[in-house]
Amino acid sequence: MKKKSSSVVFFLFIVVAAFLFLCASIGTAVKSVSADSAGLSTIELPIPESEGEKEYLGLTGNGNFKIGQIKARVLIIEVFSFYCPHCQRTAAQINDLYQMIEKRADLKGKIKMIGIGAKNSRYEVDSYRERYLVPFPLFPDESMEITEKLGVKGTPTFIGVKVDGKGNQEQFYFGEGGFQDNQKFLTEIIRLSGL
Amino acid sequence: MKGQKKKARAVLCLSVFVVMAGVALAYGQSTGFTDNIYPVGKLKPTDSVPKLKVADVAPDFILPAVEGGTISLSQYKGKKNVVISFVPAAWTPVCSDQWPGYNISKKLFDKHDAVLIGITVDNIPTLYSWTKQMCNPNEKLWFPVLSDFYPHGAVAFRYGVLRSDGVSERALFVINKKGIISYIDVHDINQRPFLEAIVKALEEANRQ
Repeated sequence: MKKKSSSVVFFLFIVVAAFLFLCASIGTAVKSVSADSAGLSTIELPIPESEGEKEYLGLTGNGNFKIGQIKARVLIIEVFSFYCPHCQRTAAQINDLYQMIEKRADLKGKIKMIGIGAKNSRYEVDSYRERYLVPFPLFPDESMEITEKLGVKGTPTFIGVKVDGKGNQEQFYFGEGGFQDNQKFLTEIIRLSGL
Repeated sequence: MKGQKKKARAVLCLSVFVVMAGVALAYGQSTGFTDNIYPVGKLKPTDSVPKLKVADVAPDFILPAVEGGTISLSQYKGKKNVVISFVPAAWTPVCSDQWPGYNISKKLFDKHDAVLIGITVDNIPTLYSWTKQMCNPNEKLWFPVLSDFYPHGAVAFRYGVLRSDGVSERALFVINKKGIISYIDVHDINQRPFLEAIVKALEEANRQ
């Protein structure tokens, strides 16, 4: 009887501990994933003027585009702010993430990145790009319309979206507050997206 | 038997607590700054009576700086344009995301031959802790932050930006090298002014 009681307690403890550690290891990625991507499908961004950025995103012409039209299989969106100290501190790390993707033949062209400047003007986004030499396209979101549609409450926030280049998109990752290890983050993005 | 059960239960509770505390700490490290910001809610956009206007002589002041010593407005007269950024209070949402942007914009101020002065009605120890969160460890803000704490809000009062609850407005003043006010923006306290407004105001100050 005594032995049985201890075994049950031990079993329960292991289950609870394992669950909590699992939650901790995957962070906010699971708890905040949007199920229907409803906000995402209504987002329109201006086609960049820069030919290099157009080419990177696989876009042509002028006007607006939808997230799902980006030529890739996975898009990583960083919602940042020119004014956010945490974003400033990790800007170089996020640039490294971009370089890491571009250097891997199996990922280049398949995973792309953009940044959305929450409550930032064009001038502020350009200043951020210039200050940190950000290599991926950045878009201002002066009115917070895009940030709100994405359900973002704070910066930085990283969102993983599966895209098909034809206008379809599906969110699979939502993480607030950044991450410390680019390699782990990328592995998680690949795993969750099924790339 | 009962004692054994109690003991087992106690061990379980303690173990779960230890695991949960570890998880909370792990999150606390990445979101610590956000968790320390006091949510003020939406406030009355402005709550003070203007006392100054463009083309007035800027009232001189002398205030203690977080880095030690004092700073006076008059020490810049004839040498630099001065941008004064009043923000309402430390550890509040918009304020905490305003000066960090200015902190990466020193070039912009240098280009327009200007200095920036940050002022709040908080005391020095509070400002010391708060401004440390705005930069990398072992770095400091490049501009002086002054405490208008005692007599409380005296400079904010003279500039017509002291609100009825004792904090200041979110306000920008540009003072040209002659000591004349060339730009005033008593902003909606709930909103952050855009950076380009300062750039335009400094271009204007340099034309005067």
